[in-house]
Amino acid sequence: MSNGQAKGGRALEGVTVIDLTWLQVGPQATRLLATFGAQVIRIEWRERKAIDFIRYTPPFAPDHARADGGRSQGVTQGHGTRNNFDRGAYFNNTNPGKYGITLNLNHPKGRDLLRRMVRDANAICENFSPGQMDKWNLGYEELRKINPRIIYMQTTGVGKAGVYKDYVSYGPTAQAFSGLTFLSGLPEPHPPAGWGYSYLDHSPGYFGAILLMAAIRRQRLSGAGCYIDMSQSETGLMLSGTSVIEHQLTGKPTARYGNRMPFRDWSPHGAYRCAGDDNWIALSIQSDEQWRALIEEMSSVEWALDRRFASAAGRKQNEDELDENLTTFTIGRDRYDLMNRLQARGIPAGVVQKAPDRFDLDPQLRARGYYVDLPHSEIGTWPVEGFPAKLSRSPASVGGPTGRAAPKLGEDNDFVYGKLVGLSAAEMASLAEDGVI
Amino acid sequence: MSDLNHNGNLGSSLANFTILEIGNQLGDYAALLLAGLGAEVIKLEPRDGAESRRIGPFATVSNDSEQSIFFWRYNLNKKSVTLDVDHADAQPVLAALAAKADIVLLSGEFETVERRLPLWRKIAEDNPRLIVCTITPFGLDGPYRALKATDLVQMALGGIMAVCGYDPADDGVYDTPPIAPAMWHSYHLGGEYAAIAMMAAINFRELSGEGQFIDVSVHEAVNTCTEVAIPTYVYSGQVVKRQTARHAAPSVTHVRLSQSADGVFMLAGLSPFEREMRALAELADQVGIGHVLGTPEFAQLEKEDRVAAAIYRNDLLEEVVGSRSADEIFKRAQSVGLAWSPIRRPEENLDDPHFAARGSFATINHPELGRDLRYPGTVASDGQSPHFSYTRRAPRLGEHTDEVLLRAGVSDTTLASLRKTNVI
Repeated sequence: MSNGQAKGGRALEGVTVIDLTWLQVGPQATRLLATFGAQVIRIEWRERKAIDFIRYTPPFAPDHARADGGRSQGVTQGHGTRNNFDRGAYFNNTNPGKYGITLNLNHPKGRDLLRRMVRDANAICENFSPGQMDKWNLGYEELRKINPRIIYMQTTGVGKAGVYKDYVSYGPTAQAFSGLTFLSGLPEPHPPAGWGYSYLDHSPGYFGAILLMAAIRRQRLSGAGCYIDMSQSETGLMLSGTSVIEHQLTGKPTARYGNRMPFRDWSPHGAYRCAGDDNWIALSIQSDEQWRALIEEMSSVEWALDRRFASAAGRKQNEDELDENLTTFTIGRDRYDLMNRLQARGIPAGVVQKAPDRFDLDPQLRARGYYVDLPHSEIGTWPVEGFPAKLSRSPASVGGPTGRAAPKLGEDNDFVYGKLVGLSAAEMASLAEDGVI
Repeated sequence: MSDLNHNGNLGSSLANFTILEIGNQLGDYAALLLAGLGAEVIKLEPRDGAESRRIGPFATVSNDSEQSIFFWRYNLNKKSVTLDVDHADAQPVLAALAAKADIVLLSGEFETVERRLPLWRKIAEDNPRLIVCTITPFGLDGPYRALKATDLVQMALGGIMAVCGYDPADDGVYDTPPIAPAMWHSYHLGGEYAAIAMMAAINFRELSGEGQFIDVSVHEAVNTCTEVAIPTYVYSGQVVKRQTARHAAPSVTHVRLSQSADGVFMLAGLSPFEREMRALAELADQVGIGHVLGTPEFAQLEKEDRVAAAIYRNDLLEEVVGSRSADEIFKRAQSVGLAWSPIRRPEENLDDPHFAARGSFATINHPELGRDLRYPGTVASDGQSPHFSYTRRAPRLGEHTDEVLLRAGVSDTTLASLRKTNVI
């Protein structure tokens, strides 16, 4: 595993981002900017109701984990006391590479301080409920008066412009609304299986990072600022495949296909049960050649020689029976051994990997250095999920400029307020006393 | 540097950018995203068409390379040039195209990309500003690099399938398989991350004048998207369980799917906040369903038997949702501040007034069909900020061969000779 520090240049060198985001969808975009070298300053407040819910999302680092002893230093997995907002596993994975400060925006002096920071920043990102920043008089129209170059990205469930602009939503709400939840699962009358992770808490972050980087480039070249109205459900439309277009041509309602492949003559195509508890292998047969290779692997078992299965069209037509029969072959077998055997015969096959498989067993992720060890100031060094591409000149570095995992609440007050904003120690003490920082 | 000054549309961020796209469906979406930002994407296809032209559904005739709706959807705004990029005679043409290009995107199986890379390394030496991005199933190195994969297999190995699907049966044993959600999602993720990496490289080039090589692994892209699964295991040793239409979690949470009077599944849940309890009570009042929420009697129940209180609330929620149409419940719930939504079919959004007001669907003319089709694609557009927008249907095979190659300085005679030898 690498230490997460970039060795080459940084694509976003010299870029400062004020990060007012929380939960998953907002922090995803700013995490990616930190990964490419932006100085991301995460602003939070100490009151319980203002603290990012993700800080309280279990699990927590085991109680015996300390600054000098995290998992990467040999500490074992274990139980962590709940409700410690500096020890959350998910928060640590979601917010690496960022600076963390406390700032009370309900206090007039807090809002003044934010305006002062906006003056020198490149971008500001938020995903509060619609209208919150305007209530504080900190909306884009106000902030651009202070800094006309500022890039302001607001992420909401449905978008700031439009009929439902005041609607409330979480990622899953936007996902249901956009049509994505419907698309996943076994054919009706099965209900939608929907999501097991919230797509629309991730994808808008990716779109957000792309647009922010486009805006940063434009700002560098022309000095232009802008407002980006990021709608979670609109990005959901982008992910809805061909369904909407097909519907316009056929008039038929969109259907679900489970794990099957309706758009090519590939079958069998699905997940098949293997030996062990809830163990499965996914495979796709794309050609008669691969089908014959599978038959060989199954020692020419009698059912597979049935003439109905000899052609792609025949296999498609008898797919239920095919799947049932194939399961009789896979069910007693070791999933990884079977994957290796099928791959050796040129058949696309892969274990349905669970978290322990991906973390402990997957040799590819290990070889590519996907998990990155990053230190945290209270719980020690832990692996964080990495960036899925290698760049030769300006490498991704999830540890960002801090070289750290997530910040503790207010961890960087001295650095940010003292060094970057230029407050004196006395000013900082006075602001702390007033409940501003 | 001057492209922005010459471009009237400030929001079109990559105007005057040229991208050469070579490969298969692993690269379609990444290039579509950059095309949506205003880049000119030139797709170099074999003479019988890119593989993505063979993916359905098909508008009319199956397997007709001009009728693939998949190809239409993922190739808006692009240009198509037929060129056998593996033919020796194509090399000077590629060099001429690369001299005027900003990015080359190579996608496909490892063997194919690996075979094509040396030429691009050589071309990049002569064009130090060139960005070369590869998208392969597992990345260019590592023990799995040459494994065979499909979208389904990537979703399996990458970990998303294991967290998506249905609740286990009452005995706790799963009687349904893990589900790969939606379709082509591994290509979406690989494409989104490739676009992010390319934007980073574009920014780095503005600072340094240098291009670079980018190696995107779809396997890793899928791996980034399993929410709490990895941190939960790494810290606590617990393994999350897949559950119907809700987050995978270490324990099975309460069921959240309910059906409206018109039979639509609703995503309707309650967070344990007093505000949401009051909203549910108000909603029940609105639709005329009697309840005891907010009474001392219910407060007593909550104190004595939290499970019974939760069951009462969930039953009430189901009754409320079942009392009216999905659309009515959606609007009423939102009016009291509950983040509920019907689980819509994607096409229901075509006529939704919200998306209409935002212009979220692009109207694209298909002259060959004699009609327009609406495509999802306009994201975050206020016209002035960087945004994605689409105006042109996907190209017909080789539609822009002459235009693009002549502009690159290939002569008429060379074109004729390349045509004769089946290179273009």
